[in-house]
Amino acid sequence: MSDVHERLRRLLFVVPYVARHRGVTVDALAKQLGVSREELLRDLELLTMVGRPPFQPDDFIDLHVENDQVWVDLDQRFSKPPRLTGPEAAALAASAELLRPAAQTALASALGKLEKILPAGAKKMYRELGSAVNARSQAPEALGILTRAVEERRELEFDYAGSGKAAAEKRRVEPAEAFNHRGLWYLHGWDLDRGSERLFRLDRMTGIVLTDRRFSPRSMPPARVPDPAERGEVRVRFTAQSAPYLRERFGGEARELTDGGVEVKVIGDERWLVQWILSFGGEAEVVEPAWAREAVSRAALGALEGTR
Amino acid sequence: MDRTERLLDLVALLLDAHEPVSWAELKESFPEDYGSGSDEATERKFERDKAELLELGIPLTYVQGDEDRKDGYLLDRNAYYLPEPGFTPEEMAVLYAAGSAVLASGAFPGRHDLQHALRKIGFFAGGQLATPRVRMELGAVRESAAVPEHLETLWSAASARKWVELVYASPKRPDPSTRKVDPYGLVLRRGVWSLVGYCHLRQGLRTFHVHRIRSLKMNPSKPRTHDFEVPEDFAIDTHVPHAPWQWGIEPPVEVRLELRGPLASQAGAHFPDARVERSGDRTEVVLTVTLLDALLKHVLALFPQARVTAPESARSRFRALAEAVAAKHGARA
Repeated sequence: MSDVHERLRRLLFVVPYVARHRGVTVDALAKQLGVSREELLRDLELLTMVGRPPFQPDDFIDLHVENDQVWVDLDQRFSKPPRLTGPEAAALAASAELLRPAAQTALASALGKLEKILPAGAKKMYRELGSAVNARSQAPEALGILTRAVEERRELEFDYAGSGKAAAEKRRVEPAEAFNHRGLWYLHGWDLDRGSERLFRLDRMTGIVLTDRRFSPRSMPPARVPDPAERGEVRVRFTAQSAPYLRERFGGEARELTDGGVEVKVIGDERWLVQWILSFGGEAEVVEPAWAREAVSRAALGALEGTR
Repeated sequence: MDRTERLLDLVALLLDAHEPVSWAELKESFPEDYGSGSDEATERKFERDKAELLELGIPLTYVQGDEDRKDGYLLDRNAYYLPEPGFTPEEMAVLYAAGSAVLASGAFPGRHDLQHALRKIGFFAGGQLATPRVRMELGAVRESAAVPEHLETLWSAASARKWVELVYASPKRPDPSTRKVDPYGLVLRRGVWSLVGYCHLRQGLRTFHVHRIRSLKMNPSKPRTHDFEVPEDFAIDTHVPHAPWQWGIEPPVEVRLELRGPLASQAGAHFPDARVERSGDRTEVVLTVTLLDALLKHVLALFPQARVTAPESARSRFRALAEAVAAKHGARA
């Protein structure tokens, strides 16, 4: 995208925006436009030179900055921003797909209204480009309830199949945030029975109930999904065949071995580790510690026995 | 005069005009820009400016005059101004939640367009926009610093229908290869972006992981001319499978799995393209598989919540994989 294009788009929005938010501060406006303060001040300076030929004093846009606030005299010509372009609408629609089907009804009606306000000439581009991006994350239906619970600060109850347990367990949770990490949806919250913060995978939750019990949010840092590529205590070796994929994922953290394979160190969450090693079907070997080797060997033998 | 300034002046002039503005008037209004130099050069300059405005969605047209009005350029004000979209708070929340989560995530194609779109739809909403309670963390690889930039270039190339030249490093090959590709679209699966397009080298549709693109450039010549058209029957979601066992490497085989425990109740969500069969307490899924090992390794990781029930060839291959893992870890079956 050329700089002229980007700047022009921004400037055509600034005048109507300031006309609607008279006296907006320079910093707030810069934040709204996603530019630095300096960049915005240069933009505003340019705008004071914009007018219509023959450029008599009354022909200019009457825009000024005073006490760090921005003002513009109502300018009928620039009372509203231009309509959305095809690519703008397509980008919006593509991003909204991430929440389907959780927000199916609202999403479908929103996109219908969006298409209605597009200029006739932009509709073709909107449809073509919109269908060129596919970002469906299979957002579970439950996401709607969860985000509502977070917003309204209401406790949730659900059955959770976690930590390698065969049967699901009842949980009571104060939800803090729902988020998507590498395609999987998680709920971060305070587990009332365990008295600690926990991370739940949405695909392991069933029978979700939005209760009427309200809570005041605890201060918790945003949750982080453990990244296996972080250094840990478990040493794992991979064969030459699978090494390229590990190099890609672990970058410089993957140590080269003489046989063409690589070795990495990962964190030691047993359940995750065992599943991860199994998913390489013999291309991966835990070197140490012993408990991790044993856990993998136990799981592999179990699978073997169970498939006789 | 600065080009941005000239274009804004042009918009201001046309938004004010109540009748078509002739080329002679434009030359007179912008003497330095359109009024001096050869006719050919000034007309080309104006054509470029006009194209820029059209790309911004500004409805500029040339009208042939008649007895009542003269020839000239006209800007349709009704088509220019953004109307109130009339979103309900819920609709607005969905668009905002998704859009701002995507912007915060860092890696999504069309970020600039999305920012402008969110601003425009928020224009009438005042300060009442809810903060989204969802967050997106994209990207599944370490070395992905260039991904946002590459997505942006691919988005521009897909919308302008320009080919790209990319240097691609596949884990299957020792050296990167240089390809010319017509970008048809982008797909996000499990945090990984893929480009689907026509590869000039292989003369067919190919899929590329965006994080494996080492360098990328868009055909710089004739930016407003299409290099290709996307075939009518092209559907992006059929080109990037949801799961690695659908990669189309081997002839298709039907594999039957039995699911237990919590996985049984989530059969459809976990295996979106499978046929789910339930009878009594038993839940089975039937999948069409074109890379058997990939499915079996997945099932191995899910065991005992999932097990292979048919065909026998898949069961014996499953046992071989489990045996290989056990042997590596010092166990004797």
